[in-house]
Amino acid sequence: MATSDDDRIAYLTGEDPASLPADERAALDELRGLLADRSTWEEPRPELEDAVVAAIASEVEQPHAEARRRVRGQRRGRASRGIRRPRPRLAMGALAAATVVAVALLISQTGGGTSKRPLQFAMVVSGTPLAPGAHGSATLTKTASGWRVELAASGLPHLEGGLFYQAWLKNAAGVLVPIGTFNDARHVTLWSGVPVTKFPTLTVTRQRADGNPASSGLRVLLGTIRAAH
Amino acid sequence: MLARGVVRRFRDGDPAAVRTVYRSYGGLVFGVAYRVLGNRALAEEAAQQAFVKAWRAAGTFDEERELGPWLATIARRVAIDVLRSESRRGGDPIDSADDDDPALTTQPPSAEAVYEVWEVRSAVAALPEDEREVVRLQHFEGLTHAAIAERLGVPAGTVKSRSHRAHKRLAGALGHLQ
Repeated sequence: MATSDDDRIAYLTGEDPASLPADERAALDELRGLLADRSTWEEPRPELEDAVVAAIASEVEQPHAEARRRVRGQRRGRASRGIRRPRPRLAMGALAAATVVAVALLISQTGGGTSKRPLQFAMVVSGTPLAPGAHGSATLTKTASGWRVELAASGLPHLEGGLFYQAWLKNAAGVLVPIGTFNDARHVTLWSGVPVTKFPTLTVTRQRADGNPASSGLRVLLGTIRAAH
Repeated sequence: MLARGVVRRFRDGDPAAVRTVYRSYGGLVFGVAYRVLGNRALAEEAAQQAFVKAWRAAGTFDEERELGPWLATIARRVAIDVLRSESRRGGDPIDSADDDDPALTTQPPSAEAVYEVWEVRSAVAALPEDEREVVRLQHFEGLTHAAIAERLGVPAGTVKSRSHRAHKRLAGALGHLQ
């Protein structure tokens, strides 16, 4: 029994005792996975403590707080899920997202004159509620190799350590086409093999290098060409 | 375990008690939310909401019970609400995607998985600082004992003994997860 415990501890420390059965190895691998997970080590910013104290103090000070608590208590008996109130910060974010002006300008098109310029669009990109301070622009240019998408956005942190950004183009049916990954959004060149005229929405998601190629759904930037044709 | 009376004062909104509860469980609540959301800013928001919801519901909480698992349950539920809420947000007509849009598909972890995060964080937090750092460097940063020794400026034998002691404590505390 003692030997087995020693083997388990040795396995956790990084050794590979041959006597450890496969099922115990698998169970310990799960524990090792948890010990390697970011959620085990990440800490909130110190400011969160004051924010929590202030949020509760604000509720305490509301004139009818006690009455509302009683009502909630009664409702809790009827429904397993709590009452959901609009969250001010997210509500602001939703408003911002809803009012995103995704301006698209047909900057230039194959001209009728003597000089031929490439088909090119410009797009304003705005931060979603996940990144309300982010904003920027993108230029989308048709080339012989495909569409070059030059994105310049500020207000997004540099990502590394297994985290990265991924850009997507999306059509009206909701089909997503990945157009590249990057760490820093300040100046990025992406390439698309589908026409931006058919896939006019640009999104950027925050991704984790976990072997899953699908979108995380954590969109941080958004913009759309409206006038594309 | 919190001192007697803290939960009652928390329920009354006493700022000092709120701080005490936060300092005891803030990291754990945040960790649970982070496990669900994978995003620091959202996890902080969910953690804040979880504490507010816990305060609102504190009248139903039995002071004899341990507060942690109750807070973990609230944190997971709030984080899943935030996740769903964020996933549904769109910005313009073309982007008004359906819930089955692959861009929006996310599966929150099970209650069991979230509770494991809670337990592992608790066990790690209970380690002495020097042992906790060795465990973090080994598992989270993926360093070898030799690299940890170099990083910390201590002999490799010291790292090995700290690692062994730390993992022995963790194995004892988390035996039921193995």
